[in-house]
Amino acid sequence: MSGHIPVRSDAALECRTCGAGAPVDEHFCPNCSRILALGRHGDYFAFLGLPRRLTITPQDLEQRFRDLSRKFHPDYYYNAPPAERLASLERSSYLNDAYRTLRNPVSRIEHLLAIEGLPSAKSGEGEGGKVPPALLEEVFALNEELDDIREQRESGADSASLSARLSKARQPIDRKREEHEKQLGELAARWDSQEQATAEERRATLEALRERLLERNYINNLLATIDREASSLQAADLR
Amino acid sequence: MSHVVGIDLGTTNSLVAWVKNGVPEVIRDQSGDALVPSVVAIGEDGTVFVGREAQRRLLTTPSRTVYSVKRFMGRGIDDVRDEAALLPFGIGGEPGGVVRITVAGRELTPPEISAFVLKELKHRAEEFFREQGEFDFEVDRAVITVPAYFNDAQRTATRDAGRIAGLEVLRIINEPTAASLAYGLDKKNRGTIAVYDLGGGTFDISVLKVEDGVFQVLSTNGDTHLGGDDIDNLMIGLVLNEIVGRALSGAPGGPEGSAPQRLIQEIRKAVIQAKVDLSELDATEITVEPSSHLPQGYRRRITRAEFEALIAPFVERTLGPVRLALEDAGLEPRDIDEAVLVGGSTRIPLVRSKVAELFGRAPHTELNPDEVVALGAAVQADILISGRREMLLLDVTPLSLGIETMGGVTSKIIVRNSTIPASGREMFTTGVDNQTAVDVHVLQGERELAADCRSLAQFKLRGIPPMPAGLPRIEVQFQIDANGILSVAARELRTGIEQTIEVKPSYGLTEGEVERMLIESFEHAEADFAARLLIEARNDAETVILATEKSLRSPDLEGVARTDLKAGELDRIRTALADLKEVMSAADRELIHEKTHALNHATHHLAEVMMNRSVREALAGKNVTDV
Repeated sequence: MSGHIPVRSDAALECRTCGAGAPVDEHFCPNCSRILALGRHGDYFAFLGLPRRLTITPQDLEQRFRDLSRKFHPDYYYNAPPAERLASLERSSYLNDAYRTLRNPVSRIEHLLAIEGLPSAKSGEGEGGKVPPALLEEVFALNEELDDIREQRESGADSASLSARLSKARQPIDRKREEHEKQLGELAARWDSQEQATAEERRATLEALRERLLERNYINNLLATIDREASSLQAADLR
Repeated sequence: MSHVVGIDLGTTNSLVAWVKNGVPEVIRDQSGDALVPSVVAIGEDGTVFVGREAQRRLLTTPSRTVYSVKRFMGRGIDDVRDEAALLPFGIGGEPGGVVRITVAGRELTPPEISAFVLKELKHRAEEFFREQGEFDFEVDRAVITVPAYFNDAQRTATRDAGRIAGLEVLRIINEPTAASLAYGLDKKNRGTIAVYDLGGGTFDISVLKVEDGVFQVLSTNGDTHLGGDDIDNLMIGLVLNEIVGRALSGAPGGPEGSAPQRLIQEIRKAVIQAKVDLSELDATEITVEPSSHLPQGYRRRITRAEFEALIAPFVERTLGPVRLALEDAGLEPRDIDEAVLVGGSTRIPLVRSKVAELFGRAPHTELNPDEVVALGAAVQADILISGRREMLLLDVTPLSLGIETMGGVTSKIIVRNSTIPASGREMFTTGVDNQTAVDVHVLQGERELAADCRSLAQFKLRGIPPMPAGLPRIEVQFQIDANGILSVAARELRTGIEQTIEVKPSYGLTEGEVERMLIESFEHAEADFAARLLIEARNDAETVILATEKSLRSPDLEGVARTDLKAGELDRIRTALADLKEVMSAADRELIHEKTHALNHATHHLAEVMMNRSVREALAGKNVTDV
């Protein structure tokens, strides 16, 4: 083995065993092949050796997860020096988080948005309180209907007919949600086809994805509100 | 090279296993018994007895005996007050602190008591390796199993017990996952497995996906306070109800040997026997022998149907966690390819049929449900030591981990069923100018309010550089290791200063306490060693007594004595036998040893004569049939 390994300009890791430099996405030192400490890594796609695409075959993701688990897991570093044991613990933890995040299509989009530098679209964050413009009409109608149902329930109206009204009120929201799932899928496919596109085009797709995610969170909150009212009606029915 | 073993530290029984040439096997005592009852008794002179001997003492000196201590591991007095009432030993401790058990005037924590059981297993394994003729027979490292649903405090308590017993705990692994490893050995299978583990005191369900030798747990659920013990208590309740009205002398919690405690232990023994019988028979009898506190005794026929009606709600309670685990794994019962039964309580036919009904297939029962967990622990120990890579276990954390935020709300940092090891980060800042410390309260559980979750630890982040409020950026990193045990580190990002963290475990021992207990256990080791030698001397004596009595009952004895024995030889044997029986209960090991030797010597000739006769007979018999 040659004694000199040229340090690449994008090297961000330093092997704690031999001191050689390694690119941030390497898991093992190119010089001495020891496990590398985990740097400030922020990209689950790159960590798993995947391109930044939103279409992922579950079987492929699982296979990568199992293969890397077999390389990093603390079980196999039981007798290793402390630095390598720590590196194994860090890399395994990070791998588990990466797998969990990318396995779920929604958290996968959230992660893509985060590493592409967009503000968070997670529920309860960002402009979660504002009604998304695309939903104004539905939200207005629903809130009115919900207020009325609640009032009637409290004054002891027949809960069976109220339940029927509630299911009816739920329908447009359910439809909206299905529509959104479809749009999210289309936008994801668009992102995957845009590798050669301009920065502006790509940015526009990301913005659209983020918009859909925020709307999706809002829709889920609406559905949760309807469910809460439904269980109040059930409780009233039992009384 | 010293040895590594796998240990199943159970509520009712414990076992130790090892891997020989790639195949795991449990280590048995000379009579072939693999189970060490998880019972600890303290004698009048302070000596400690573990296992069968302690179990015998449960009937004679219940207040000096502790059992089911696993139920108290990592718990506080407030958690266990209700069940403490049923137990013969005193349970105490500061509110919000670790449970302390008073037994025979000694105040011990659950890890210390579990350490006695672990030491017994360690000793059993060392004896085994020594008999194999190994030069270095020491056992100093072990993988110990815990219920999958054990929280951080319960896992830490188990690890502490190992350390107090003088073992390096290589890994804490989950019982159902260990069982799946033991099952996965000989077949290179793939698929989705559900492991239903109903033990003496705990219930677990784990759903796993197996592929390429990777055993990946998808979800786990359970109840750390649901097991065979509860069935026993239901049956004890039934019996007590029926004998209420008959005069009971003595009061609960009374002095040593007072009626209710001794009676309850008698009843416990009787109902356990009936429970075991009913796994094979359609009906049996619960029999409590007459005694001073129950002069007429008690006898009752119980059918399997009656038993099943009694325990049906109990079995139903296990199915709730099963459904939740399936839901978390995103699976339906029909998606399960294999169901595996683990734990002694899965011998109950009703349990088997309910599990079969739920998954629509007969569960696996090929391996002994009492032994399968220890076998799996041995496999894991072997993986860690040998670096073998054919199999890999990827387990999950059973409960979400979080911190208390404003208004007493829990903020989750690592969600339940995350594959371990797992890490999570949280940013903290200060609320007032020049604040140099922040309090952090770590919680485990699924509930929204901090007060409803399990408090794991409180700590203070100190050494924050004085800055205007809100400016410091303190990153706290939570790391759950492959044992499922949490550690915490913190750093102020603006200055890069590492924070000092003193974690005060809510229901655990501090580092210093574990150290002290370890030292104390060495101090007691001499007395414990003497106690063990005494037990072994008694066991040896018992063997010789039984063999002699058998010879003396032999129908040929008269003839043998006339033709082959010297005059007075039989009398000398009878005297030696009586001498030995007389000293059996004494605490003098040397004396027992001496009398055993004398009896052995006295019977030597008789044994030889009897042996020759049976050999002659056997040969004669052969002649007849062979020719």
